[in-house]
Amino acid sequence: MSSGTVIWLGLAIGVAFGVVAQLSGFCLQSGLRGWWGEGDPRKVRTFALAAATAIVASQALDAAGLVPLGRSIYPLATFSIPVMLIGGVLFGYGMILANGCGARALVLLGGGNIRSLLVLLVLGISAQATLTGLLAPARVDLAAASSATLADRTLPDALAGATIGSEAARWIAVAAIAGLLAVFAFANRAFRASPLQIAAGLAVGLLIAAGWYATGNIGADEFDPQPVASMTFIAPIAGSIQYVMLSTGVALTFAVALIGGVIAGSALAAVPRGRFRLEGFTNPRAMLRYILGGALMGIGGALALGCSIGQGLTGLSTLALASFVAVGGILLGSLLGIRGPLRLAPPTP
Amino acid sequence: MPTTITRRDAIGLLAGAAAAPLLARSAAAQPAWWQTIPAAAALVGDAQPSGQGIAIELPLVSEDGSAVDLAVAVDRPMTQDAFVESIHVFARGNPSPEVAEYYFSPLSGRAAVATRIRLNQSQTVGAVAVLSTGEVIAAARDVTVTISGCLARDDTYAATDIMQTRVRAPERIAPGGAGEVTTLVNHPMETGLRTDAAGTVLPEDIVRRLIATFDRATIFEARFHRSVAANPYLRFFVAPPRSGALVLRWEADGGRVAEERLDLVVS
Repeated sequence: MSSGTVIWLGLAIGVAFGVVAQLSGFCLQSGLRGWWGEGDPRKVRTFALAAATAIVASQALDAAGLVPLGRSIYPLATFSIPVMLIGGVLFGYGMILANGCGARALVLLGGGNIRSLLVLLVLGISAQATLTGLLAPARVDLAAASSATLADRTLPDALAGATIGSEAARWIAVAAIAGLLAVFAFANRAFRASPLQIAAGLAVGLLIAAGWYATGNIGADEFDPQPVASMTFIAPIAGSIQYVMLSTGVALTFAVALIGGVIAGSALAAVPRGRFRLEGFTNPRAMLRYILGGALMGIGGALALGCSIGQGLTGLSTLALASFVAVGGILLGSLLGIRGPLRLAPPTP
Repeated sequence: MPTTITRRDAIGLLAGAAAAPLLARSAAAQPAWWQTIPAAAALVGDAQPSGQGIAIELPLVSEDGSAVDLAVAVDRPMTQDAFVESIHVFARGNPSPEVAEYYFSPLSGRAAVATRIRLNQSQTVGAVAVLSTGEVIAAARDVTVTISGCLARDDTYAATDIMQTRVRAPERIAPGGAGEVTTLVNHPMETGLRTDAAGTVLPEDIVRRLIATFDRATIFEARFHRSVAANPYLRFFVAPPRSGALVLRWEADGGRVAEERLDLVVS
């Protein structure tokens, strides 16, 4: 059956991402610290190149009629801009608190970092609480009170009009957004001189497209039209925790296989290089900080429908207007954590 | 006058609350699930249903009550002498508990169906199977339904493709074997319980029946109620004795009909 294939592909894409991220240190959080604060100036460029690659490759798949990106959850017409933005801000700030996003925590866990296990458990539980649990009624009320319907779902939709056809609008939007991101990436000399970082950016971008292809083409079932999806980590981390507890009564999905794959891939890349090292907390205050970070990422990611990767790469690759709002929120939240009165020093766990 | 609850009172209250259901149960034997649904009770009648040989597959937890995967199978032979005549599905916690009925024949091959249903809330989903021998089998499963994890869903649907059908059947069925037929018909399955933005109740509009005939003899029939999910989906079996034409016919409100013909090859 095709659904079995899709699950294996989810695992494979997860393993590939885990390997790449373990080797390259792929992480928006450390990238933004390096850009706005102290640290490696290349990593934010790696993320930008990944986003540019994801946009070009995903839009090409959609244009070729291979994957209907319009059937993903990102190009919403009716959504709450405040909820999306606040979700993004909470996620971004939580990411700075916990020293990395959910995907980064999975990669670190594969390398023996037990602090990440705590972050992941808190993230998963608070995300599920926001989606379907204690916080869900508040989320639904908030969204219902502030939802609005936009005239257009995506940037190309907004550009298209009497003079510009929809395909032309698509490629104008791709050229503008992906072009800007690529120029930003390659304008940095240190990044240009780092083949590993360039390769990591390209690889992660292509993995986003591979995820679309797996769920939207190989996994397409005309008798079960499910939303198409790609790499995303908030709901899947929650879903994985649920799967561990309820696997006799819930189906294994692409998303859950992806999560397992990332941990396994990271471990596969860490162990042979002697990089697997158990790390824990030495400081209860840092523990508290990581717990808070995990909770904010879970709640924020659930409100914004995705994380730095789920919205920042996968969502953005659909050029959905809602994703631009979420990404803006994530960047704003991260900025608050790195600069200004609410800034946080890098943690000393 | 302010009332205060002491710790001892609180413990007593909690213990009482915990014991109450136990007491009620021992005072009067708790009715079986089908006895609480009139249509199911009428179906069972005076029979003493066994719970053996019927399997209900449902997710333990569903985050989308608007389309919950359900499969029901009765593990009994399907021969001319004795076969499963019908399976009836009920969801007690829905505004109307009748979900669907499936009528089989010996040419069904297997008394098994899979579909997607609507569940209003966490509840018990039950199935009653009636055999040609008069035997009745009943079973129920609990399912937890949470509010939708999805932030937004389109409430509208394309009106152009209503009653469009899709069918998949095996290219070849071995003699004496059963082939799986998968089918879907595009239809909103409007419940009659929903209001539009202006507050007007949208009238009930659903697909009522799917009839499968083989060389003009009915071999399987499904009857749907409003608790069947939009775009009714159904998987069932056929065991044709020879090569021939399988015709599927859907009948919906408003006199709308769709028909699809497939040539089955038995070899």
